[in-house]
Amino acid sequence: MKPRKDLLTIGDLSDEDINTILDSATAMKDIFTKSVKKVPALKGKSVLTLFYEPSTRTRSSFEVAAHRLSADVTTFTVSTSSVVKGESVHDTIDTLMSMKMDYIIVRHKNSGIPAVIARHCKAAVINAGDGAHAHPSQAFLDAFTIREKYGTVAGKRVVIIGDILHSRVARSTSTILKRLGAEVAYMGPGPLVPPQAYTGIPRFTNWDDVFEWKPDVIYLLRVQNERIDTPFFPAKDYHQAFGVTDERLRRIDDLNLSIMHPGPVNRGVELCDAAMDYRNCLVCNQVENGIAARMSILYHLTPQTQNND
Amino acid sequence: MTNTYIRNATWVLDGKQYDFCLGQDSDAYCELSGICLPGIERIAAAGELEIPAVAPRVHDATGKILMPALFDMHAGIEIEGRSKRECVSRAGQAAISGGVWGMLVMPSAGFCFDNAATLDSFHDAVTQRSAAEMLTAGCISQGMQGEQQALYNTLAARGVSILSDGEKTPGSLLMLHRAMKYASEIGLTFALRGDVPALTANTCIQPGTTSYKLGLHGTPPCAEEIGIDTALRLAADAGAKVHVQTVSTAGGVDIIRRAKAAGQPVTAEVALHHLLFTHENVGDYDTTYKTLPPLRDASDCEALLEGLRDGTIDCIVTNHTPCTPFAKKQDFTSAPQGMIVLDTFLQAIYTHLIKPGKLSWADVVRTCCINPVNIATPTDLEEDVPTVAPLLLFDPESSFTVGADALPSGTLNTPFLGTQLHGRITLPLQ
Repeated sequence: MKPRKDLLTIGDLSDEDINTILDSATAMKDIFTKSVKKVPALKGKSVLTLFYEPSTRTRSSFEVAAHRLSADVTTFTVSTSSVVKGESVHDTIDTLMSMKMDYIIVRHKNSGIPAVIARHCKAAVINAGDGAHAHPSQAFLDAFTIREKYGTVAGKRVVIIGDILHSRVARSTSTILKRLGAEVAYMGPGPLVPPQAYTGIPRFTNWDDVFEWKPDVIYLLRVQNERIDTPFFPAKDYHQAFGVTDERLRRIDDLNLSIMHPGPVNRGVELCDAAMDYRNCLVCNQVENGIAARMSILYHLTPQTQNND
Repeated sequence: MTNTYIRNATWVLDGKQYDFCLGQDSDAYCELSGICLPGIERIAAAGELEIPAVAPRVHDATGKILMPALFDMHAGIEIEGRSKRECVSRAGQAAISGGVWGMLVMPSAGFCFDNAATLDSFHDAVTQRSAAEMLTAGCISQGMQGEQQALYNTLAARGVSILSDGEKTPGSLLMLHRAMKYASEIGLTFALRGDVPALTANTCIQPGTTSYKLGLHGTPPCAEEIGIDTALRLAADAGAKVHVQTVSTAGGVDIIRRAKAAGQPVTAEVALHHLLFTHENVGDYDTTYKTLPPLRDASDCEALLEGLRDGTIDCIVTNHTPCTPFAKKQDFTSAPQGMIVLDTFLQAIYTHLIKPGKLSWADVVRTCCINPVNIATPTDLEEDVPTVAPLLLFDPESSFTVGADALPSGTLNTPFLGTQLHGRITLPLQ
């Protein structure tokens, strides 16, 4: 693939870029199975994780990925930094760039912040989630997991269920799956699923229509209570109306469908307990593949910091 | 001193060529197409005005358009980090650059026109610094906090005829209703934007393909429609006059059209950018196109233009809002709303509305020269002097690329930056 400084959205990538990163993720995953789980690909490079929003799995996944490529990892903790004193993003980045970072992995509650940072600095910027906009590394791990399970993404039908309106995962994962030839549909509570005219993606509001559509993968999103100030739907109805209940799980089992979820899972909301132990539940595969996908992303980006000027 | 002559100018309203003689007497004026032309002593068909042979000052205006200068009903002039005097001076220069002779300045945090002292110091600054006339809209509430009425009698005594809380919509309908009942008795008009803050909090873009793609929260058009409807119903009950600010939705135009048909005393304005751009211009988070209210759909632009043509909407305004480059470099959610429009107002109107045939010169004279002056200036029945605007000469054949040098505002937050605009204003306004 052509040298690329940043990964901000899936839409920025060519088909070749997408396939190259996915193919390399397979090679990266092979590294895990060896007794020495580390390669020197990024030896001497500095990786900074800059998370303005709480995150456990994405941040640790990136950190593990960077360590396995032998990079040095620094964690910038926003809650104890000058950001809480009102420092602007630009000034924070200037400070960090003075420390000669090569890669900045950023998460922020505002859509578009990683692009602002990418324009402002020479380090490779990886968007680890910005507002409701994009989460491209999640998209790669999802596509990789489906490809691993079925051999190909093309021709598969994936229904994404839940709070689409606030979900960067829905946007990025639907984009990469469509680019790879899959069909995607959305389902969820009315106010949380934008009209098809806005998204270009078929919109369902109940499970009967979902099953009739004959999906291969049921992809559940987390109900993001932290983004919702005024309720969009009666919360106690969610599991019965949109969750994978025991009854629906039996139907999913009969049809041999897969279940995915970006985590963390709200048991009893999106999924019943039994769904987590279901034979085709790919949630743990997603976590494992996340490291491979993120190693591949780090490996393929080219910071413009070589001259240190 | 000899008279100045303008030869062969095309009069904006009938497209015919005339010769004009500018008089020495400051009270001189002529009428043409029902418009008062200040400073003009005589008018004759081209070639028929007797021009003395003894080297008088003669402008050959062949191919140029003579027209009244524009008046802007809605300008914000404050910019963070600049002194108030500089804000006034730059806005004045920007206005002259865009063919605007005067404007109604909206209250803002730094120009909180809720008391006599602020108004007096502002008008002192205008007298000393501004190249353009600046009237002020007084605050509806003290400190624009939406809680207590401002001192309306004091404001009216200083020439205020329009009340507005700037970008804020009064949250308390009870306060607004009582304010309307009181202030309408002293002839004040309420300039209000249609909004329901509970529906638009934390939103920044029209809901649609762009908001979905960029993951930004959408501002529902119904918030504007409900807000306009509420303001009109309150005003009807209180017997107040309302001027609806920055209408941006087709639904808003319909509500105003119905109110006018029912005989309610209401006027309305649209910002130039709501006629020219849609949410799709935001592209990949271009903060230049972040406005309040947000840019809508193409169908809204069309409905707003139709509203201008049929008289539902009375004026085109700039909603001029200078922002520092750093402020606009923030992410879309954090960046401030607004564009600078004064600097290139007439040139942009000509290039994007008149030239493509979307509006006629007559529409523009009506909505940018006559109506806004009539709405913004108090009618003084005792003197009954016709309100007049200075004249300007506009050369439609000339064009230029908008660079920083064409923007006296001194900021760059204009969608026209780097684009070509047609028209040059060739006669000084004074």
